[in-house]
Amino acid sequence: MSSTSKPKPAARGVALAVLGVLAIGQRAFLTLWRQPVLLVSTMVFPVVYLLILGNAMNRQLQDVPLAVVDEAGNAFSAECRRGVLALQSGRQLVVAEFVADRATALDGLRRGRYRGVWVLPFGLAPSGPPPSFIGDNTDRFSFEALEGALRQIWTEVAAPPGVQAAPSVRLEAYPYLDYLTYLGPAVVCLAIFMGSMVSGGLQVLEDRMFGYHEGYLVTPISTGTLVVGNVLAGAVVASVAGVLVLVCVVFFTPLPLVSTASLLAAVATVFLTALSIAALWFLLFARARSTSLLRGMFGIINVLLFFPSGALYPVESYPNWLARISAADPLTYGLRALRSLLLRGAGPPSVYADWVFLATFTIVCAVLTKVLFRREV
Amino acid sequence: MSSTHPIQVERLTKRFGEFVADDEVSFSVREGEIYGLLGPNGAGKTTLIRMLTTLMPPTSGTAHIQGHDIVRKKSAVRRSIGTVSQAQTTDENLTVRENLSVQGKMYGLSGRQLSERIELRLNQVGLWERRDQVARQLSGGMRRRLEIARGVLHSPPVLFLDEPTTGLDPQSRRAIWDMFGQLREHEPHLAIILTTHAMEEADFLCDRVAILDRGKLLCEDSPDSLKRKLDSGEKVELEADHEITDDDELSMASVGATNLRFVTPTLVHFDARPGEGTGRRAARLLEDRGYHIVHLKIALVTLEDVFFAYTGRALRDA
Repeated sequence: MSSTSKPKPAARGVALAVLGVLAIGQRAFLTLWRQPVLLVSTMVFPVVYLLILGNAMNRQLQDVPLAVVDEAGNAFSAECRRGVLALQSGRQLVVAEFVADRATALDGLRRGRYRGVWVLPFGLAPSGPPPSFIGDNTDRFSFEALEGALRQIWTEVAAPPGVQAAPSVRLEAYPYLDYLTYLGPAVVCLAIFMGSMVSGGLQVLEDRMFGYHEGYLVTPISTGTLVVGNVLAGAVVASVAGVLVLVCVVFFTPLPLVSTASLLAAVATVFLTALSIAALWFLLFARARSTSLLRGMFGIINVLLFFPSGALYPVESYPNWLARISAADPLTYGLRALRSLLLRGAGPPSVYADWVFLATFTIVCAVLTKVLFRREV
Repeated sequence: MSSTHPIQVERLTKRFGEFVADDEVSFSVREGEIYGLLGPNGAGKTTLIRMLTTLMPPTSGTAHIQGHDIVRKKSAVRRSIGTVSQAQTTDENLTVRENLSVQGKMYGLSGRQLSERIELRLNQVGLWERRDQVARQLSGGMRRRLEIARGVLHSPPVLFLDEPTTGLDPQSRRAIWDMFGQLREHEPHLAIILTTHAMEEADFLCDRVAILDRGKLLCEDSPDSLKRKLDSGEKVELEADHEITDDDELSMASVGATNLRFVTPTLVHFDARPGEGTGRRAARLLEDRGYHIVHLKIALVTLEDVFFAYTGRALRDA
């Protein structure tokens, strides 16, 4: 049949499948090796995200401009003004301006000069009339912070002398964590997401568009091998990005409770999460034909996976429909496991359930991909 | 049969809705033969190749590669074929050798067997010196040679080449043609199907040529036979120093000149069957009768003419 004499027949069956997976992996590795910028860009995005978002959202409100109109001029209003000044010099929540008349203050509010106006009306007294707060509710954060702080001042001023509520008991179960540290595991997940998109989803799609795919399809390796190879290759690259970011997080944020065992389990979690996301990308592009689809899809998938996962806000407070998305989102489980391992110092057994979900998710996606995948052009 | 005819195609048809890309195409290719599918863009060449390489299921009809049915025995077919497609199947970020290494594993080659095979093929296509160069740095012609090396890496008995020289400059094209000559010496049994819309390529490379137009296989034969069969034949222009008489005109017809057309009383155009030297014989006849021949032009039949005769269109307008 063949013209050249073969020293041994080419591999078939399982041996061929292993070689096929190796070949896809070899190519993914070499692609990354030749273009380290790919890996860097997948990592830069999450780290920048962490730094910008962490510092932008973590901050307590500061220097919110507030106008105070004292129409009362009595002892209560003096107390109130002292309270505001304390707020300004202490917590630095406000920059207060004492305005003579109500009209000027409200005009300033409308022009955006003040975020709130606190009117201390004529005859201010605990039995009434009370102070009134007119706030700029286009900015909810400032509105609520101001309202809360001013209400507290009035509560203290109006309380009968000598009466003081006992402060409630408050205990923190874990060492102090700032928002930046809280975001750490989320950033690892973001790196996995980006990495699996670049090396998994995008690569598969580019291969199909430029025809490299065709080169795979005419070879004797099975469709199953193609799916497993591509998912594994994508997952390994995404894991590299995830682990590198994990190392950054461990170095740059205080994680007092981390042990070697929980760190190793965190690496395993990164790999399993990467597998599930890579499998999801491949499933989404099992039949896709153009990168315009990816462009549209990337934003949606990013939002659908990242935000419902509880990366930025606790999952428990989600409305019902969002909680359902969250429950099906592999990032939710990866993130929960990483938080347990890194922030709470929990041992590996506490995240086994999450691992089982991630593994199952991967297998379901891979099987669906195998079914949907068309070996034709 | 399959040992001498590694490729057998029977009434293979592909429809896309109303459009018939390939219409009951039948042919077979012998061992060691280069078979050319000649046709303009959209003739159905690529669709035909895609069906034969298991990338597209046929609507009806069958084909066998090495005796394996292209629909029912896909993996056996895939093991038997090498392909060089129009798609870019070279990874630009990988070196020449890495590209072949990835490809070889897909065919179950590994270890020393794989590296020996890579060296053999790279030497055959003249790329061994560039083995560690990243594919992006290769010229178009070299890249095509790399793709051909990929196609034959696993020593398949059948090779498909979809427009192997399209988009290459004349020199690179020539280099690839020469390479085919060497490849045939090393692989005397390799059956090759080659699609092209370049007549001179089909003429130069192919043992047999089939003309495909609008999905139909119009004819198949060796390039020479196709030309010889062509009735319109050679086009001859002949100009004498004085007026050609009716009598001499009749004599010219008797030596094989047909369809004589006088442009002027001294300048005549006529057709002649190819390969019979009619143009020269007619000229000699007139010289014997005292004419002086001031102009003689004999245009030989090309595959271009053959294509025109079968399709009624020039290949480039099609």
